[in-house]
Amino acid sequence: MTGPLGQIALVVGRESVEALLVIGILDAWLGHRTDPASARTGRRFLWAGVAVGLAASALLAAAMLGFASLLEGDSEDLFQLVVTGLAAVLILQMVTWMHRQGGRLQSELTRGAERAVSQRNWWGLMLLAAIAVAREGSETVVFLYGILASASGTSLPAGIAAAAAGLAAAGALYWLLQFSSRRFPWRVFFRVTEILLLFLAASLLMTALDRAIGLDLVPTLSPPLWDTSWLLDDMTGPGGFVSAMTGYRAKPELVSVMVYALYWLAAAALLRSRPAALAGSAP
Amino acid sequence: MSTCARLIPIVFGAVLSTAAARADEVPVFVIEFASGRIAPSVLEVPAGTRFKLELRNTGTDPVEFESIELRKEKVLGPGVTSFVVIRRLDPGEYRFFDDFHPDTPPARLVAREAGGQ
Repeated sequence: MTGPLGQIALVVGRESVEALLVIGILDAWLGHRTDPASARTGRRFLWAGVAVGLAASALLAAAMLGFASLLEGDSEDLFQLVVTGLAAVLILQMVTWMHRQGGRLQSELTRGAERAVSQRNWWGLMLLAAIAVAREGSETVVFLYGILASASGTSLPAGIAAAAAGLAAAGALYWLLQFSSRRFPWRVFFRVTEILLLFLAASLLMTALDRAIGLDLVPTLSPPLWDTSWLLDDMTGPGGFVSAMTGYRAKPELVSVMVYALYWLAAAALLRSRPAALAGSAP
Repeated sequence: MSTCARLIPIVFGAVLSTAAARADEVPVFVIEFASGRIAPSVLEVPAGTRFKLELRNTGTDPVEFESIELRKEKVLGPGVTSFVVIRRLDPGEYRFFDDFHPDTPPARLVAREAGGQ
């Protein structure tokens, strides 16, 4: 469907979308905090996380290229299980925190109390940014290294240009997030990005679950219950992207369906409890 | 958050010890990736038992072995050989891809019940 250059742009763009989505949303959210001091602190932690993530990407990429034996077989599955599981938990924590803060901005709380709560969350924010970057970043680094090392069938400058195009396409998403956070009503933007983040966490959770099943830690409980790959294949093209952003599975077993359903019930309960609490305290 | 943070090392440790306890005597099957080609494109493996897939990247650029159906994902730099461990496949077909070469035709594992063993 695409030439080698199109593939390069596609792979780089796809790998960067997830990280830019998470960081773009958090950045826009921080920009909307009324307390500028907190926003500044938050941004510092966010970008420190990005820097740590980039450094970790380089290290992981080196491990993938050179010392594959460090991460292979079960230990690699285990590593992916821990990282994706942790990322899912951190996103959930961030969404809940944002939700709570969103209410707080209106019902004015004392600044001191807010700082005290924030301190621990800043580290979570930093860790989340670092994981988001490192997870996809390491693969991008390996991929880009391959283009630099040997432009198979394509000229080197063209390969680099294609990679830059892919990054730019993903960067456009980042810009769009910043732009829409100013353009649209904050509540609408917040609702939409909150849902995006929740789907992303669901996808990470499904990946973690797949690794756990692969390691025999969790039983599948059933053969695949149904097969919707005729409608949307979870492994190729658009279906692969949907799967990466939402946790969609074309042939889910019982345990996957149960975990996915439980996740959304828990997420809904977590978010519904907030407005109720606020409504109670407002009058 | 804090409960989860405390749980992670416990789970991690438990998994690590069970993984280390397993013996290494399992059948090995080789799949070779070379810059957008996968060989063999159809590989027969035993259903219901543990086995290793040895992944070799003999091409000049990186590849990513990926399969949601097999629940695996692995990046291989050029010249790198590594492996994934697969436990108990139900009989059937499992597709896998080179995600860094989206145009590569998908290959598949065919899991069959072993006759004698």
